[in-house]
Parts: sequence; C-alpha cells; structure tokens
Amino acid sequence: MFGTQSRREISHEFQPSMQYWKPSIHTRRANIVVKFQDLYGFTVEGNVDDVNVLNEVREKVRQQGRVWWALEASKGANWYLQPQISSISESVASLKLSSVANSIVLKRLIRKGIPPILRPKVWLSVSGAVKKRSTVPESYYNDLISAVEGKTTPATRQIDHDLPRTFPGHPWLDTPEGHASLRRVLVGYSFRDSHVGYCQGLNYVAAMLLLVMKTEEDAFWMLAVLLENVLVNDCYTPNLSGCHVEQRVFQDMLAKKCPRIAAHLEDMEFDVSLVATEWFLCLFSKSLPSETTMRVWDVLFYEGAKVLFHVALAIFRVKEEELLMTSQIGDIISILQRTTHHLYDPDDLLTVAFDKLGSMTTNAITKERKKQEPAVMAELDQRLRRLNSIKVDDESPSVSPVAPR
Amino acid sequence: MTFYINEEQMEDYLFKIVLIGDSAVGKSNLLARFARDEFYSNSKSTIGVEFQTQKIDIEGKEIKAQIWDTAGQERFRAVTSAYYRGAVGALLVYDISRRQTFDSIGRWLNELHTHSDMNVVTILVGNKSDLKDAREVSTAEGKVLAEAQGLFFMETSALDSSNVSAAFQTVVKEIYNILSRKVILVQEHKKQDTSWMENGKTIVLQGETNHEADSRTWRAKCCSS
Repeated sequence: MFGTQSRREISHEFQPSMQYWKPSIHTRRANIVVKFQDLYGFTVEGNVDDVNVLNEVREKVRQQGRVWWALEASKGANWYLQPQISSISESVASLKLSSVANSIVLKRLIRKGIPPILRPKVWLSVSGAVKKRSTVPESYYNDLISAVEGKTTPATRQIDHDLPRTFPGHPWLDTPEGHASLRRVLVGYSFRDSHVGYCQGLNYVAAMLLLVMKTEEDAFWMLAVLLENVLVNDCYTPNLSGCHVEQRVFQDMLAKKCPRIAAHLEDMEFDVSLVATEWFLCLFSKSLPSETTMRVWDVLFYEGAKVLFHVALAIFRVKEEELLMTSQIGDIISILQRTTHHLYDPDDLLTVAFDKLGSMTTNAITKERKKQEPAVMAELDQRLRRLNSIKVDDESPSVSPVAPR
Repeated sequence: MTFYINEEQMEDYLFKIVLIGDSAVGKSNLLARFARDEFYSNSKSTIGVEFQTQKIDIEGKEIKAQIWDTAGQERFRAVTSAYYRGAVGALLVYDISRRQTFDSIGRWLNELHTHSDMNVVTILVGNKSDLKDAREVSTAEGKVLAEAQGLFFMETSALDSSNVSAAFQTVVKEIYNILSRKVILVQEHKKQDTSWMENGKTIVLQGETNHEADSRTWRAKCCSS
C-alpha cells in the first residue's frame, strides 16, 4: 500500500501566478503580438490591449478575493460550505433560515467569481463531490488506481494518444509528471464507468480540474460529480446521446432568446453542433481563456448544467450584429472561434449570460430535454440502420484490404 | 438539385473538402502542413470543427479549397452530419504505422457515403510515411484497397512534407475537372435553367443519371506515391 499511498500525496507545484505581466518598451507599440502566461500558466498570444485586459482581470480577481475574505470575517470561515447532515446541531429551523440567506449571497458571489485559492474547497462542496466521496471508503481512489494499473483497454489506448495532445506546451500539464497525473485520473474514471470509458474532450476537462484542484484525487471526484450529477446523462457515452440532446435544446433556446440570429442561421443551414459540440464536451475549456473558463465552471458547479446554455447563448449574443452579416458557414465558425478565444475578461461574457438573456429555469430545460430525447434516439437509431444497410449492400466488406471485383 | 457553374464563376467558389479517419492519424497536421507549412509533434486533439481556406492554382486558375478537420474517435462519427454537408472532396486518412487505423477505412467510407452522395472525390491517404521502421501497412495494400473502392491513393508525411500538397491537389484538380465537364454540359443545355446562378456559393457535385454508370470509373485512378 505504500506505493499507492505516496501517489495520493502527489500534488503538483503549479500555482496560479498573480504577477502582473509588464510589457517592455518594444511591446508597447500597438499591433505587436506578444506571448505571455496567463493566471493558469497557459501561453497567450495577444497584443498590448489583451495584456492590459488580462492585468485588469488579475486586479479584479484580487478585489473579489477581498470580498470573500471580508465575508469570512463576518460570517465565519467556511460559511459557504454546504451544510452536512452530521453538522446539523441545535435548531434546525434557524439553520435553514440562515442557509437560505447564505445561498442567496453565495449565488451572487459565485457569479462574480471564486478566488482561485478557494476554488478547490468551494467546488468540492457546492458541486456535491464531497458528499459523493463520503459514500465510499477513504481508500477508494488509491484502490481504484492500483487495481487498474497496467491494464490496457480501448479507453486507455485513446487516453495515451491524447495525453501529449492536451494543452501541449503547458509548463506543468505537458511534463511527464503532468501526463502521469492526467492519465491516472482519466484511466481511473474509465474503469469507474466503463460504459463511458473515455471520450475525447474529457482530457481537457480533467486537465483543468487538475490545475485547479491541485490533487489528483480531488480532480477525480470533481470529474465524477460532473459526469454523474452536474451534466445531463449520457453526455460522453458511446453514442454521445446526451450531447446531441443538449445541442437540440440549445438550438431551440437560440430561437427563443436570439430569434434574429437563429433565423439567419437557419437560412444558411448552419447547424449549431458545428461549434457547440466542443463547447458542451470540453465545457468551454478548449475555447475560452482559462480564467473565463474557470468563472463559467464556478457557476456551473453551483447552478448546474443550465449554465452551459447561458454561456453558449451569450457567445452568439455578443456577436449578434457581426453574425447577421455573414453569408458563409465558414465565416460563422471563424467569428465564433475568434470571439471565444479572445474573451479574456470573464465579466464581458458572464454579464450577458446572466443579466441580458432573461431567466432559464432548470425545470424548463429538463422539460425541453424530455421533448427532444425521442427525436435524438430515433435519429441515432436511423443512422445505425442506414450504416448497416450499406454494409449489406456492399458485397466486398470494405474492411478487407483485398477486395478485387 | 444539380448546380452547374461556368468557368468565370469557378474562381468565386469554395470547394469544401473534409478530412476523416481515426484519431491521431495526423489529420490536423496534414492540414497544418498544407495550409501553413507547419508541423507540431503534439498539437491539441481536435474536438469540434476546425478549418482552413487555402488558394490552389489549377491550370492557371485560382481555386479556393476550404478544408475541414474534426475529431476521430469513433463516438464522434454520429455528431458529424453537418460536417459532411456540402463536401465535394474527402481525404480519408490512416496511419501506415497502425494497422487498426487502416482496418477502419471501410467504416469511414460507409460514413462518408451515408452523409454525402457517392460523387465526393475521395483520396485514400496513408500518412506518417516517414515512420519506415514502424510500418504496419504496405503501400501495395493501400493501393489495392483504393483500387477496389475507386479512390485515389497516396502515402504522405506531414512531418517531412512529402506528398502533402500533392494529395490535396489531386482532389482539388479532380473536382475542377468534373466541374469543367459540367461547364461543357451546361453550354449544351444553355438557358434551360438559370436559377442555379443565384444559388449559394458552395459547390454541390452530383452525377447525372446518364453518367452514373461511369461515375465509379473516373474515380478509379491511382496515383502512386
């Protein structure tokens, strides 16, 4: 057990850098592209304006930190943690009252951002990961990792292909140590839920979780609670049916919340899945700058999967006018990709997402999902039948390399 | 619907070409090499859709090819009907150092045919030809499969650049040739239907009924590497 015990202690040294990036004289000129590291160590290529925006974001993160510390001072440390059954003591009624009040404060606070240093603790609590972990023996993760060591499956093979291709160049993720940690989390999960196994996209999600949570085990539980509780079911299963359902729900919402764009896209026969597949599977981690992604995840873990719709709609909304001018599908994709990559200020996106689109209740979304599900299943089924019929028609099974006619 | 275009208009059009094949066969690097002459030993695995537009000179005419790239893992195949829409060319890629990726070619062909019509100009591409010592699929096997399926064939290396441009150019040139033939056709049927002119800019290739019989033959050419 010694070996696995030590593995549990592995936590990387990667710390969010809070230093200001100071442009040198040469880079103060406009239009000069400079490379620098963002809060989470990702290399960003941008101009001086982008640098300034990122410095402002750093300052806002500090200020937001001060707001959290002030609240800790007045409400007590850990006031934001979800009440545990065991901690209910004296008066249940008064606890309920204070927890309702706290949850209102917390919701507002989380939408403004969780300080990076508090993220591990707050995410574990508000997402339900702590609760999930408490239902299994403490040694669960270590036992799982040692049990699956050395096993090869289609999932592990795909994971091995993707390790060096997950945020290449990152100062910690793209090191032998980073690869090994990411591998253990992904392989461990692929055995926990062998139906999901491994789906491309999870590599980016798990990598970001490792950067934030600092320990593999916490990253693993965040991954588990995401797939099993926070996101819609079957998002990453072999037919990605949950992901298909989300795309259709999103399409429907776009028509309701941004009717002009939706109509224009329909005229152009633009399918939202061309851009939204990556958003929903990587939870924006491959599209948005790191701190913006983290701000989305702050809210995602507290408010649930509806947040993904808010954010996806907001991305379309902030570029509404530009999108309405397009006449080619490729231009739509380019605009949206360029936009997401440059959303360095999280508030630019989140203000639109939560204040300018009206409310969307989880209930309404659940209802809409139920409505879309049969159509998605029928479509997937039809696709399989079509593929099978081709195979039957084709006399020479094309998998055979030697098929002379 | 069948669209015809005339020669002057050809330059304004985009040929949509899709890259397909198993995960990690080098689709994104083929695109990076072709469009930007770049190669990354590790580039981010593709999840959604990426594309690049590249100008290609064919017989003194400038043609724009829009090349689309997407995820290769099997479960993504069902997300991609929009990916194939409007494609007139395809590069069907496997890795010569991993037989499994070659064995998947049949399934990728089925996928291509369910999403688009049979006339998509397709080239079978055996990538990573620089990995000579690790080769698991011989050039001859690739050729035989391509001939049996009526595909063009080439072995490429995105790493050392060999044949990368040639593979894309083969597809673009063939699309161009088919369209040129249609230009002649449209001159014969002149003024019967001019509504096509106002149609969208993306080219749709469709075999005429009377040409269906030989549609396989004109694709059954083989360019050796």
